[in-house]
Amino acid sequence: MSVTRINVGPIHPSTHGVIRLVVDVDGDTIVNVEPHAGFLHRGVEKLAETRMYMQIPPYTEKLDYVAPMSYDEAYVAAVEAAMGIEVNEKAKYVRTVLLELQRIASHLLGLGTLCNDIGQMFTVFMWTFKDRDIVLDLLQEATGSRMFYVNMRLGGMHAELPPDFAEHAYNTMNYIEKRVSQYETYVEKNTAFMERMRGIGVLSSEDAKALGVAGPVLRASGVNYDARKHSPYYMYDKFHFNPKVMLTGDNFARYKVRMLEMKESVRIVKAALKAMPEGSCLGMPVKLRSPNPVNRTVSVSRELPRGECMMYLVADPQKPYRLSIRSPNMVNLAAIGHIAKGARFADLFGILGTLDIIMGCVDR
Amino acid sequence: MKIDRGQLTNQVSRLKAAGFDYLVKITAVDYVDHLEVLYFVRDIAASKDEILEVTVAPSDAWVPTIMDFHLSADWYERELAEMFGITVKGRATARLFLEKWDGADPPLRKSFVWDAQYRTRDVKK
Repeated sequence: MSVTRINVGPIHPSTHGVIRLVVDVDGDTIVNVEPHAGFLHRGVEKLAETRMYMQIPPYTEKLDYVAPMSYDEAYVAAVEAAMGIEVNEKAKYVRTVLLELQRIASHLLGLGTLCNDIGQMFTVFMWTFKDRDIVLDLLQEATGSRMFYVNMRLGGMHAELPPDFAEHAYNTMNYIEKRVSQYETYVEKNTAFMERMRGIGVLSSEDAKALGVAGPVLRASGVNYDARKHSPYYMYDKFHFNPKVMLTGDNFARYKVRMLEMKESVRIVKAALKAMPEGSCLGMPVKLRSPNPVNRTVSVSRELPRGECMMYLVADPQKPYRLSIRSPNMVNLAAIGHIAKGARFADLFGILGTLDIIMGCVDR
Repeated sequence: MKIDRGQLTNQVSRLKAAGFDYLVKITAVDYVDHLEVLYFVRDIAASKDEILEVTVAPSDAWVPTIMDFHLSADWYERELAEMFGITVKGRATARLFLEKWDGADPPLRKSFVWDAQYRTRDVKK
């Protein structure tokens, strides 16, 4: 056996951010992959200790810049738990809708970049990017911004939804549902796509648990865990939400779980829009001084598009004493050495694409 | 559950045998007079979490590795070492995880003062 070492990155079109992979190959079979993280480390956890509570969401949002609202909500939920603030009834529905829209936008981009990674350059990416923009239009209507929202307030939202939002969202969800089915047909009938998905990068359920992977990667390996189901928050338990689980643990399973999740998200958004109560969803206005915490330590779990994030907050008056963020992307990236071992070098990027990592979240 | 660091591996092993076979995360908090290392483990089937809290003195900051039970502890333990200066005994010395800090205090210790460190660095440049 003669091992050649190949250096991928730190900047590479297929690396989903700034990451360096040191890959040992024998011929074109991968022997070992060692990911080097840290290029996007901004010290958000330390920074949080120097800021007032409601000055922090703009930082936490930028951890996962493809699904910023999900991180925003996870942080605000931790602060609400520490301060004993109850979210108002309508805001629970509004948050459920917006978080699921964010999940759809994130998964659409994930599908596009996955197709890029395995060499189907920019055809599917352009379609999904266009559809993601339509979802972002909705988020813009609701929040006033397309990328970074900062729209969560303690106990509610920063603004009411526009009057025609429900109708617009309902029509968009019909369109997205149709498009997701079309994407499934397009890519799953494509031999080049399927050859690089089926049976590649298999992760068994035992290994998935031992490696601590999260979110769609965990569920694709047959482990039925979704924070939305197992520690339900907002309106998820009301809509009979079921986690999407696949058993094969390969690239295809990881891709398919995300497609099924998009359809489930469409269903949840429609149900939440239909059941949304009257009234106001406004939270507390942002002031520099926040209410004092009633709980010293809290940990809050949220199912982000890329997996479970746990915010562990040690609360002092006005500022966090310590904010610890469990990054789903970090655990998924850490598993790549195990998943890619024995695969061919060309499949490394397909595997990386199905892990769908965001480096800002890994490095924090 | 507060435990002594000498019991850590036994407790992790016991919990794993009892179904808590998924490590959610390891983190630490610097309370200045002591450091608290937290291990979050989960029984996925029963949807139950357990938190193990190990207290160590800043002058004697080490914990045993739990990589024999949870492979996913690897990156978290590297983070503990780098961000909190907590030595993890019983495992190979890990390479740098996130960032090189110019010999200053570990960044997530309270003795590392964010603003002052940055000003000092700027002046040095």
